[in-house]
Amino acid sequence: MGKFSSTIIGFKKYCSVGSKSLAMVLFWLFCSSISYTASAETTMHTNNWAVLVCTSRFWFNYRHMANTLSLYRTVKRLGIPDERIILMLADDMACNSRNKYPAQVFNNENHRLNLYGDNVEVDYRGYEVTVENFLRVLTGRHETAVPRSKRLLSDEGSHILLYMTGHGGDEFLKFQDSEELQSHDLADAVKQMKEKRRFKELLIMVDTCQAATLFSQLHSPGVLAIGSSMKGENSYSHHLDSDVGVSVVDRFTFYTLAFFEKLNMYDNASLSSLFTSYNPNLLMSTAYYRTDLYRRKLEEVPVTNFFGSVMETIHTDSAYRTTLSRKNSKKVKIKLPLQQSMEHDERRLLSSNVQDQTSDTKTEDKQCPFTQMLNTCHNKMEKIGNVDSLVNYGLVIMFPLLVISTWLSR
Amino acid sequence: MAETEISKMRQRPIVRLGVLLISHSVLVSVVCFTAGVLALLLLPVLAKNTYISENALMPGSASSMLSNQEISEANKLIKELTSLSSKPSGAAIEIQGLIAHYMSSLDAEVNYHKFHPQLNQFHPLHFFSSPDSGVMQENSSCSLYGINIVGIIRAPRGDGKEAIVLVTPYNSVKSSVNEALSLGIAYSVFSLLTRVTWLAKDIIWLVADSQYGEDVPVAAWLRGYHTPAFSNLGTLNTETCHDSNNIDVLKGSPNLETKISNGFRRSGTMAAGLVLKVAYRNEIEDSLCIHAEASNGQMPNLDLINIVNYLAVHRQGLRVKVDKFWSLLNSKFLKILGDLFELVGKLVKSLNPDCKFGIPAVDYIEGAATLASSLYYQALGAPTGPHGAFRDYQVDAITLEISPHISFNKDRRNDFLLQGARLVEGVVRSVNNLLEKFHQSFFLYLLTSPSKFVSVGVYMIAFALLVAPLPVVAASLYAETHDLFPTSEKDRSATSDDLSSVLGSWKWLNSAKTTFVVHIWGAIVSLLPYFISHNSNPTANFRMWILLSVASHEILRWILGSPFSHICGRPQGEWAVLKSVTIFSFFIGLCLMSVINFATAEIGALLMVPMALMAHPLKLDIRSRSFKSFLRAICNVILGVISFPPATFFVLKGIFEGSFSGTNVGDFWNWVESLWAWNSATYLYIGMVHLPCWVLCVYILLHPC
Repeated sequence: MGKFSSTIIGFKKYCSVGSKSLAMVLFWLFCSSISYTASAETTMHTNNWAVLVCTSRFWFNYRHMANTLSLYRTVKRLGIPDERIILMLADDMACNSRNKYPAQVFNNENHRLNLYGDNVEVDYRGYEVTVENFLRVLTGRHETAVPRSKRLLSDEGSHILLYMTGHGGDEFLKFQDSEELQSHDLADAVKQMKEKRRFKELLIMVDTCQAATLFSQLHSPGVLAIGSSMKGENSYSHHLDSDVGVSVVDRFTFYTLAFFEKLNMYDNASLSSLFTSYNPNLLMSTAYYRTDLYRRKLEEVPVTNFFGSVMETIHTDSAYRTTLSRKNSKKVKIKLPLQQSMEHDERRLLSSNVQDQTSDTKTEDKQCPFTQMLNTCHNKMEKIGNVDSLVNYGLVIMFPLLVISTWLSR
Repeated sequence: MAETEISKMRQRPIVRLGVLLISHSVLVSVVCFTAGVLALLLLPVLAKNTYISENALMPGSASSMLSNQEISEANKLIKELTSLSSKPSGAAIEIQGLIAHYMSSLDAEVNYHKFHPQLNQFHPLHFFSSPDSGVMQENSSCSLYGINIVGIIRAPRGDGKEAIVLVTPYNSVKSSVNEALSLGIAYSVFSLLTRVTWLAKDIIWLVADSQYGEDVPVAAWLRGYHTPAFSNLGTLNTETCHDSNNIDVLKGSPNLETKISNGFRRSGTMAAGLVLKVAYRNEIEDSLCIHAEASNGQMPNLDLINIVNYLAVHRQGLRVKVDKFWSLLNSKFLKILGDLFELVGKLVKSLNPDCKFGIPAVDYIEGAATLASSLYYQALGAPTGPHGAFRDYQVDAITLEISPHISFNKDRRNDFLLQGARLVEGVVRSVNNLLEKFHQSFFLYLLTSPSKFVSVGVYMIAFALLVAPLPVVAASLYAETHDLFPTSEKDRSATSDDLSSVLGSWKWLNSAKTTFVVHIWGAIVSLLPYFISHNSNPTANFRMWILLSVASHEILRWILGSPFSHICGRPQGEWAVLKSVTIFSFFIGLCLMSVINFATAEIGALLMVPMALMAHPLKLDIRSRSFKSFLRAICNVILGVISFPPATFFVLKGIFEGSFSGTNVGDFWNWVESLWAWNSATYLYIGMVHLPCWVLCVYILLHPC
């Protein structure tokens, strides 16, 4: 019910949940095909999740764990809290007896940064990292005994970053030393997530050989995918730490981290600037990104939408009244901005970095299309003035239609 | 007629192909044998570059941690050792005490292992059997014993389930500078490894008492390691001699007593064994010689050789060698072949630039000499160093023989020690990274250089081509004598009656009996040395052996009937049936041997197949008086002489050593003795496959038809 009752911008009409079911039927007649995709766009970005997976075991795959831990550190620094990060590490390099520096993991030979410091919460470790558990995390089909901390408790407004690294091949990614995740497994899991409304937008980032092949089966809207290499290409490690005796980081991840090192939580670097930052000569492979399932323009999406926990916040004059309106409507999250836009003339959508004056001006220049459309919608609403009259007009139009349809069906 | 034609039409293609091959057996055998020899000669060209197959190894990825500090400690040990060994007598125990003291001062667990050497004795029933379990041999006397010193470093964070073994043979009675240097290298590595944090496997350093040979102490220690005695009763049974006074003397200094124990100290399963030796060979540059062949042609995993080769070449700048036949390097025949293959390679390259075929002639000669040596040492079935004992327990091990530059002096010694120690450290660190047993790379291969190998899939072809004519010729001979060819079917049905055809079809049983008797005789000949090996003079032993063999042959013939006494309907065909059965039994023998020791089967096939295929009664050849048959008779006589195992031995020895002077009849006995001392299956092959086949061929040559 809810997804059909939301605003369809193309028709520039507004239907409330409170309106009668006839209006629903009418609505469905006109815009059934478009409404499905529209729901994702109208849902507000509510929170950020990250699922970081290192799939390979063994000491010589040290770099995969270092990759994952580096990214873990980055997303944490950019604002995703630990309870919204699912960290899966297939092996414990820090405590491997071959590790020259016990209980420490480095991603650079300068050893300046110990990735395995005090605040690392590993949710799935060792042999817990299996294809089954991974798919359970994504789809949310857990056994009842699984604690909340090990679940991906995202909702339909969540932005999820899914980072995977390990050894892969044509349309598969090896888990541990015995299993593999195939591209259609991943696509199926994402499709289920979409159906269960577990995300609004999903960024899949994969650092393996032939990473691009892993995305070939994806069909769900709102999914953005980036891989370290094309089909037939290998992903290489960046450098060897001759002290530890292993390669410590992969090239793709290394340059991703290099990009993020320059950023802080309040920066507005866009996804496209991340994607264009990969130099094929340095990577020794071609970074591939798939954007055809993604609606928004990459230039307008800040990386912190996925790698941080930065989202557009809505400034309300009174929190109390918002909660009042919640009581009235069933679909709170969807309706909230729209109702507010009707009732309060001076409503503004602001990004969270509103305190930062310099960046504030930037955001206003680069408002996302959704915000713009909301504003236009808002203006039209004001012209119409009264919702009840709109509903009445709608009912009046309904009667002739009903008559015509019954007459035709005879 | 129509029906037979239809039945012919109905024959399956594979049957028709078989019939075609059998009917052209001469052509097939000539083509296959030539191709087989050619394939063998092509092997150096077809050799591939080695590569490290196991990802976990990562040789050379870690920088060496060994510094001059360890080397100076090692120098101190070497100095003390040399000063002790210059003393006249009684120094042996002091030296052992010194080594143990040095080990225990590094906080390693140390224990002495006393062993009693076993004399080389022929045990006919010990072939293929697992090494002796704990039970001491009766013939070893209590007065003869050696003492190994074992030091174990426990991996600080390891699980203690695996270990890497370093072995340095050291003769405390008559020590040399070389052995002191190898001890120095091992000591410097050992002292480093006591301090590192990255050990995942325990390190065992075995100073093997090599006064009774280098292999004996290692084998004895490995036997003790793998047969734990669980009760005191068990130790009493195994230790029948109770004169541990000397060990008590060794434990003289009281402060060490806690660390040095008399009991057997163990660690986990062995991941790899490295035997370290230093040799002076007047090399132009510092070099490393790798010995890898273990008993019965078993090789350690190629990855082990690869990491040593990689580290030695790319990290330490050593020149790596494997054994090769030096005499072959000057061989004109190989030079011509090398030039030819180089020419062919160039031609192929001009036709198709992508095709990588052909190597320079110099490389070919080197490769061929190395390949021949590799093939020979595998075929011999005797290990080429103390690493052989490890292979009996399925542990991959090699011997590293480091030889310094010709101008070796005191100043260079530190560099040399550092180089050697860093190599060993690198190998240990690489093996330490290993997660499972060595299994990724090849176990069946021949080396043509330290960095090139021929895998089993390639060298099998040569053998398959060599033995392929055998069943074809056997079938063809059988078919000829029984008129089984479809072409002569009409005649047979017309001429022979039922009874004779039935008798004729069982004629092969008589030949089979002959073959069987000769093979029994072969087994008896193989057992004879057990009774005559007490004499110490090899020449006399050899003569005795020949005499007894001939006598037993005559007795067997007398008991079980002469192979020629039987009168059959077709005497002219009997030799053919005999040959057919001989060839077939030889074929079976070769195939069985190829499973046990491939190199032996390969060389055996090369030597014996022409004889087996050519054998034809001399009388018939002389009677026919044609040039062709005359030529065949001469060939047969020459082959008959050459294929006799002792004759083959002397001919090959003469070829490889360049001169026939100085060869002694007793050499063959010594050679054979070395075979049974190592329980080599090659000995069984010679006695029970090769020799009977030769005797049967001689039967055929001398057939009275």
